[in-house]
Amino acid sequence: MKTFQLVRQAALSLARHRLRTVLMMLGVVVGIASLAILTSIGEATKRETMQRFKNMIGTFDTIMVRPGGGRSRGMPTLLNVPPTLRFEDSKAIAELPEIKSVAEMQSAFDIDIKYRGKAASPAVFGVSVNWLSLRSDEMADGVFFTEDQNTSLARVAVIGTDVRSALFPDEEPLGAMIRIAEVPFQVIGVLQSRGAGPAGGSLDNVILIPVKTASRRLFNRDYLTMVIAQLKDPTQSNQATNRVVALLRERHHIQPSALDDFAITNPAATMERVTQTSSTLAKILAGVAIMALLIGGIVIMSLMLIAISDRRREIGIWRSVGASRGEVVFQFLLEAVTVALAGGLAGVLIGIGGVQIAARIQKLPPVLVWRPFASAVLLSFVIGIVFGIYPAWKASRVDPIQALRS
Amino acid sequence: MIQVVNIRKTYARGNGGTVDALKSITFDISPGEFVAVRGASGSGKSTLLNILGCLDRPTSGSYRLDGEDVAGYSDKQLSRIRNGKIGFVFQAFNLLPRTTALENVEVPMVYRDGHVDRKRALAALERVGLAGRARHHASELSGGEQQRVAIARALINNPVLILADEPTGNLDFKAGQGVMTLLQELHDDGRTILAVTHDDDVAAYASRELRLQEGSILSSETVPTVLLRPAMGGKP
Repeated sequence: MKTFQLVRQAALSLARHRLRTVLMMLGVVVGIASLAILTSIGEATKRETMQRFKNMIGTFDTIMVRPGGGRSRGMPTLLNVPPTLRFEDSKAIAELPEIKSVAEMQSAFDIDIKYRGKAASPAVFGVSVNWLSLRSDEMADGVFFTEDQNTSLARVAVIGTDVRSALFPDEEPLGAMIRIAEVPFQVIGVLQSRGAGPAGGSLDNVILIPVKTASRRLFNRDYLTMVIAQLKDPTQSNQATNRVVALLRERHHIQPSALDDFAITNPAATMERVTQTSSTLAKILAGVAIMALLIGGIVIMSLMLIAISDRRREIGIWRSVGASRGEVVFQFLLEAVTVALAGGLAGVLIGIGGVQIAARIQKLPPVLVWRPFASAVLLSFVIGIVFGIYPAWKASRVDPIQALRS
Repeated sequence: MIQVVNIRKTYARGNGGTVDALKSITFDISPGEFVAVRGASGSGKSTLLNILGCLDRPTSGSYRLDGEDVAGYSDKQLSRIRNGKIGFVFQAFNLLPRTTALENVEVPMVYRDGHVDRKRALAALERVGLAGRARHHASELSGGEQQRVAIARALINNPVLILADEPTGNLDFKAGQGVMTLLQELHDDGRTILAVTHDDDVAAYASRELRLQEGSILSSETVPTVLLRPAMGGKP
């Protein structure tokens, strides 16, 4: 009850000195708003990057082996990679104790697909049947091909949603015969949409066919563009990577002084680097915002200290009607905390607006991460206490006898 | 009501020496008395008022107020005494600025238990004849009205002692007379009042006069107030 009345008095006192109150709030508003915006954007960017990464890779318990020492640019195709990674390499990798299973892939990006006068040129991937589970892809419609279909070189295809909308805008695709580089294939399934990759491009503009069918009937090549190896223990990805490197160097008879003729991507390690970079940036930005907050706190402290000499009489009156020193401290702290909290809340509101605007400018989805806002409010409370305590103490030391003299 | 025994107050001086503001003062005040404390400036009357009002502590001696020896009380205990047992009326009125008369009267209730009884505050304003100006800010009131609000504030927690420090010092004759009449009425209601003044007309309302000189009591005279009260009209 008494506390409620003291809070009310603090609020009234702030309302009576509107300009001073607004000035006191300003620093905290700016600090909290920038802190909220910066951390929120940092967090949203990080999540977005991780999401796109995940879209591309599917799972984080795999490593990817590509031919050519990683020197080729862009997505590997059968035309721009050296013929160094073979089906036998894939089998050997699958036999390593660290590896649970492998998926093979052949890919091409320049093949025309036709269906009843409509054409598309998606990525064509010849893949093994465990592709679906290794990529954690899901079927939207129909079925994936089987190992039998793979070994019998069946001409069956699973299409991505972009291909579906390009070739079958208002038609059921299952069962339809499409032509991949003039070879007829039957559509047996449609993949669920994966969204955008790390570069922003669509991951749904794709056709999957059995890797052996691709090798014999379409590409006429017996080397691979990628082997995806699933790990038994995802936390040991570096060790598994080293084992695969050693195995392939031995199989390819590479001298100790020579470079690898293949490249390995370890998504877990890459992911770690990416998130580390973005969290370092986020920390720097948060540091800047915290500086702004500190300045806001110092503004509160200075204005309160100045106000005390104006309010000596008021303090004297409180004391004469029964306020103890502790209650004066409490009352001034309440004012500081109220100002800081109000500034914090205003900052959060501005911050929410700022995130929307920034998201639009950065072309990111406006992800509102609640945690920075919650900690911003908490932080403004702490600012109020920390920077209010000294002025409050000063106020409690005002001598009521002198203050009450005219 | 009040027993003051050998109260002494010593201040340190800049040059390392000390100054005795009060030199071993002893006196009693009974319930219902109206005491005027008089003396030249520097006689120690303000120091005495501050000690009696629990705004200051004596260097030595004992001060019993309403049965409690408050001389050694802590800041928190003294604050409780000021809140519950003492009502202050200052020369400079000391109302909170930018605050209504009603809210000013309510402030002591905030520090008592936080239960703000608006009806009681209005009744106190009515008692001092200002019910109609409850919603006015202090700055919109005349000096006499401000002092009446201060008196209503002093009364709100039903104190055992009202301390007035030159209550008419900042008022013109007529307003001063109104305030003194109000204090007189409170005295007639049985309130204990102590007023510090060097004004003969204010002292004329008191039932006893305590004269201080250089920190000591010079005289303490009980005067039949009935005889002296008309003296107020004698001043030009």
